[in-house]
Amino acid sequence: MDRNMENNLAQLKKSRRPGQLRLLFAIILVIVAVIWSWAGTGFSIPAIMRGVPRIYNFIIDDLIPPRFDSWQKFLNPTLQTLYMAYVGAIFAIILSLGLGIISANNLISNRLIVYLGRGISSFLRAVPAVAWAVILVAAVGLGPFAGTIAIALGGAGMLGKTYADSLEEIDMGQVEALKAVGASWFQVLTQAVLPQFLPDFFTWSFYRFDLNIRSAAVVGLVGAGGLGFSLDTAIRLFQFREATMGILWIFGLILIVEFITAKSRDKILEGL
Amino acid sequence: MKKVNNPLNEKEFKALISKRKDNLFYLIILIFMTFFLFFSLSQMNINPARVIRGFSTLSDLIKNMFPPDFGQLSRLWPLAIESIQIAILGTVLGIIFSITLSMFAAKNLTPIPGLGVVLKGFFAFTRAVPALVWALLFITAVGLGTLPGILALGVNSIGMLGKVFSESFENINKATIEGLNSTGASRMQVFFQGVVPETIPIILSWSLFRFDINIRYSSILGVVGAGGIGWELVRASRMRDYPALLMVILVILVMVYAVEQFTGYARRVVR
Repeated sequence: MDRNMENNLAQLKKSRRPGQLRLLFAIILVIVAVIWSWAGTGFSIPAIMRGVPRIYNFIIDDLIPPRFDSWQKFLNPTLQTLYMAYVGAIFAIILSLGLGIISANNLISNRLIVYLGRGISSFLRAVPAVAWAVILVAAVGLGPFAGTIAIALGGAGMLGKTYADSLEEIDMGQVEALKAVGASWFQVLTQAVLPQFLPDFFTWSFYRFDLNIRSAAVVGLVGAGGLGFSLDTAIRLFQFREATMGILWIFGLILIVEFITAKSRDKILEGL
Repeated sequence: MKKVNNPLNEKEFKALISKRKDNLFYLIILIFMTFFLFFSLSQMNINPARVIRGFSTLSDLIKNMFPPDFGQLSRLWPLAIESIQIAILGTVLGIIFSITLSMFAAKNLTPIPGLGVVLKGFFAFTRAVPALVWALLFITAVGLGTLPGILALGVNSIGMLGKVFSESFENINKATIEGLNSTGASRMQVFFQGVVPETIPIILSWSLFRFDINIRYSSILGVVGAGGIGWELVRASRMRDYPALLMVILVILVMVYAVEQFTGYARRVVR
């Protein structure tokens, strides 16, 4: 064998070995984690075996077929879910525009403010929307108002970060050019930063609205209005066929909203 | 159109017209969105007075939260661990089932052509119904505890991972499968020797991403009684024990943050 080739082969073997070792380590880690969780949660195969026929019976006897004649009961909650998601998205976008700008290190020179902005969004993001809903229901009472604010806060956490990240990626050449001709901070923002930021802005904002529909459908389970609340009521009253109808409403609402947001996002991005 | 007298050529002229149409389109959208915003606000009875009152009660509540009740920590800690364990089992369950089902859902691998469409419909449904709703249903079927939580996360994960995995299976190199088929490899051999090695980076990174999501879900599954720390949120708020409520939130924060750090590290290693 050619000496050069031998060297290459040795190198290849060397470079492969750590990869395989890492893979082995990862597999062991996953197995240990599963055993640890298995023991901790009291998860057991017999329990699953007992559970499967129960789930099957529950679906066949109780859930199916949905009570289609109860569809009207879910009309208002569905609309309320949509309102919460929409208003929550608008509030989140307004909050996050401010949060995003102060968290972008190329727009704000003060490190402290950038860290503060990043910290606020990461805090808002890490607390789940349902947890926000629990707090807000305690503060402002049951109903969609609590849900809307909860959704807005959770959304602001995500959008604040994604806006800041996309603002940091813009081409600073254009900003410098405008600064050089004596444009004010605000002029730089609207003339150089905004046009570059808009595609990401629309993509993330629409995506957030999609996610909001999902959050809005569940915050009702802790009393914050919308479909979750009606669904919870139906299940508590053992009206499972009505609950199935409610689930179909959730499914339908999510599909329709996803379709509409995808279409309008593409239409808007095309025009930019 | 006479081009001589027209300062713009035809193409530029059309572009200008369509630009103007676009501007009108955006204006209409903007007006509609503003209208819908105020309509939604009025439908939900949200008005400035209520918002101001809401913020003052909220700030009172936040004042009452401090200092957080660190005495609760010894009780909350095991529950946070339980949440992590629920997320691990739910994710693993979801990965196993979604890989298996994706073998039948991917157009190029499925033994029965119609099955792919049915399974993709199933994925869309399990994905669209939120994890908490699945938990509510499983509680009714198998009773309170960690089991409904694990099943809920598993089923919800199948919806997302099944979609991604089956699509990535469909995108693999045709020659790989044909080559293996020509050597007389069985269906399982084709899958494990051809499909898995090519898609393993996608499988790993999406599984890690899903684990991140599942940790967030598992922290709140307890609000409907599906195990973990979530129930403590509801308990503390019902008892108006706000320092405890803040402590629960802090524990959730630490838990989510720690897991995010871990998956972030794992993602770098995988890459």
